[in-house]
Amino acid sequence: MSHLLAFMLSLAGFAALASATNRQQRDLFGKALRPATTPMLRLVAAAALLGALSVLLVQHGWGLGLVMFSGHTSLAAGIVVCGLIVYARIQAPKLRHR
Amino acid sequence: MTMESDRDSGGRGIRQSMSDLHTWVGLLLGWVLYAMFLTGTVSYFKDELSQWARPELARLAELPDAAVVAQRIADAFDKIAPGTSQWSVRLPDDRNNSAYAFWRTPTREPGQRGFGEAHFDPATGERVKSRDTQGGEFFFRFHFQFHYMPVLWGRWLAGIAAMFMLVAIVSGVITHKKIFVDFFTFRWGKGQRSWLDAHNALSVFGLPFHAMITYTGLVTLMALYMPWGGQVAIRAPAERQQLQAELSSFTQPGKPTGQKVPLASVESMVRQAQERWGHDNVGRVNVSHPGDAAARVVVTRGDPGRVSMSPQYMEFEGTTGKLLSVRDQVGSAAETRGVLYALHLGRFSDTVTRWLYFLVSFTGTAMVGTGLVMWTVKRRQKLPDPQRPYFGFRLVERLNIASIAGLSVAMTAFMWGNRLLPTTLADRSNWEIDLFFIVWAATLLHALVRPAKAAWIEQLWAAAALLALLPALNAVTTHRPLWHSLAQGDWIFAGIDLMCWVLAALHVVLALRTARHHVKVPVKRKVERRAAMAAVSSGAAE
Repeated sequence: MSHLLAFMLSLAGFAALASATNRQQRDLFGKALRPATTPMLRLVAAAALLGALSVLLVQHGWGLGLVMFSGHTSLAAGIVVCGLIVYARIQAPKLRHR
Repeated sequence: MTMESDRDSGGRGIRQSMSDLHTWVGLLLGWVLYAMFLTGTVSYFKDELSQWARPELARLAELPDAAVVAQRIADAFDKIAPGTSQWSVRLPDDRNNSAYAFWRTPTREPGQRGFGEAHFDPATGERVKSRDTQGGEFFFRFHFQFHYMPVLWGRWLAGIAAMFMLVAIVSGVITHKKIFVDFFTFRWGKGQRSWLDAHNALSVFGLPFHAMITYTGLVTLMALYMPWGGQVAIRAPAERQQLQAELSSFTQPGKPTGQKVPLASVESMVRQAQERWGHDNVGRVNVSHPGDAAARVVVTRGDPGRVSMSPQYMEFEGTTGKLLSVRDQVGSAAETRGVLYALHLGRFSDTVTRWLYFLVSFTGTAMVGTGLVMWTVKRRQKLPDPQRPYFGFRLVERLNIASIAGLSVAMTAFMWGNRLLPTTLADRSNWEIDLFFIVWAATLLHALVRPAKAAWIEQLWAAAALLALLPALNAVTTHRPLWHSLAQGDWIFAGIDLMCWVLAALHVVLALRTARHHVKVPVKRKVERRAAMAAVSSGAAE
């Protein structure tokens, strides 16, 4: 259960981090978000990632918890990028028709 | 990682220098590193692969009591190896369905190792007859000592390759100018740019793992690579023995007394260890001089749940079962080594963490693979004639094919060999390994004689076909087909069958994408080539 929760929090964290970058904001929303939104997204990302770390540390201790956190964050970041690629591939034909 | 230049007005910038360093250290031993990474990645499931390779050994529906199994094996040793000075048994656990034991043989014939080994049925304590194979152990051994060469040479080669990898990682991080800005960037269909983005993504997401696995890989063999400090500081035999005790639960047996006294109950010794570390957390039982008054029994703690390979054990007097000593911790230097060693092997992992290790290590393999391919992608566009590349380009291109696509074919062929080679074949486990290398050499030959693109596609399809058909082969050559495994809840056999199909699908995608890919010749070069062809044809007409 702690693995699932940590993974979901890591995924949310990296999704928020991706949404906080200029390039992804343009690709996802077609424009840059309001200036106040970007730091907010970064804050959410940091909170989610710290949450994931806390879950693993409380459940498994420092040694195992840190190793698991590294694994979950790497996988979550990879999945976010794959998601962005798929989204861009789906959007590409629509943009061409506009 | 990125190859973008960062020149300053004074000449070559640090990033350009690092980029060049990254390119060449990545290429020179890249093929070795790719093989080390891929075989190392599958080694996270080496016990599961070994179970798959010995289908004769029944699945353990329930984990047997380690204490009872240990006693059964101890009783068996009275008949199997009377007079042995030392035996050691790894008890069954949730990843191993047999008890594996090795022992010193009382007499050693010239050319023999002086050791015997066997798998035992935990339920009966009887030696089990299974096909002669190294299973997943072959990939594990290969990833740090290779084969067909002295072990020490192989380990030195692995160490040099790991140092190259470490340099490539550090120089790659320095070269990558926008590591955070481009963290989520992937530009599809942009040729070299896409390869670079993929290489960057695979490198950056797993960066903590890639750095850790490379550094800790060097630490596992540090005594081989840098023995001088220890040689100077620790000279007396007693000190060396003390050092050994800090690093391993295996100790050299002392001298026997010659007085015959039977071994006390091993079961009760293991029970004490279970009380200390948990019922299913006993790793090994090592016995020296069984049947002698000087007998000693060492029961070690299992790997799960602790990020350290430092020895933890309880030592008993063999004849009475009296607890002599308990080692719960080692010195800080030894513990540092133990933690780094454990991080590399990941044996402490639960199933989810093991999969995380596998997946992130797989991205490391892909990182090396994309780096190798990128070397040719980048240079292909600058070739004066893409149909006739220079020798170095052709060499890299062909080695890439054999070491990336060819290795997939060879590794799967090893598993086919496991199912197809007769079980009565003499020296069978070595034949499995020979088959792996014969097929790998054949893929190199194929890559040399076929056009590069055709060779990529054919080898990727071959790997896909071998992987896709392996579950079918397993179904017809064993009594453990996929439907049976699923019905029985045997997730090791079912998992390997299903994973073969996932990997087959991956190879199909790669083959299809390679087949669809067309090298874009720059417009300027196209015009030049047309002009040259026109000149040749007009010359011929005259």
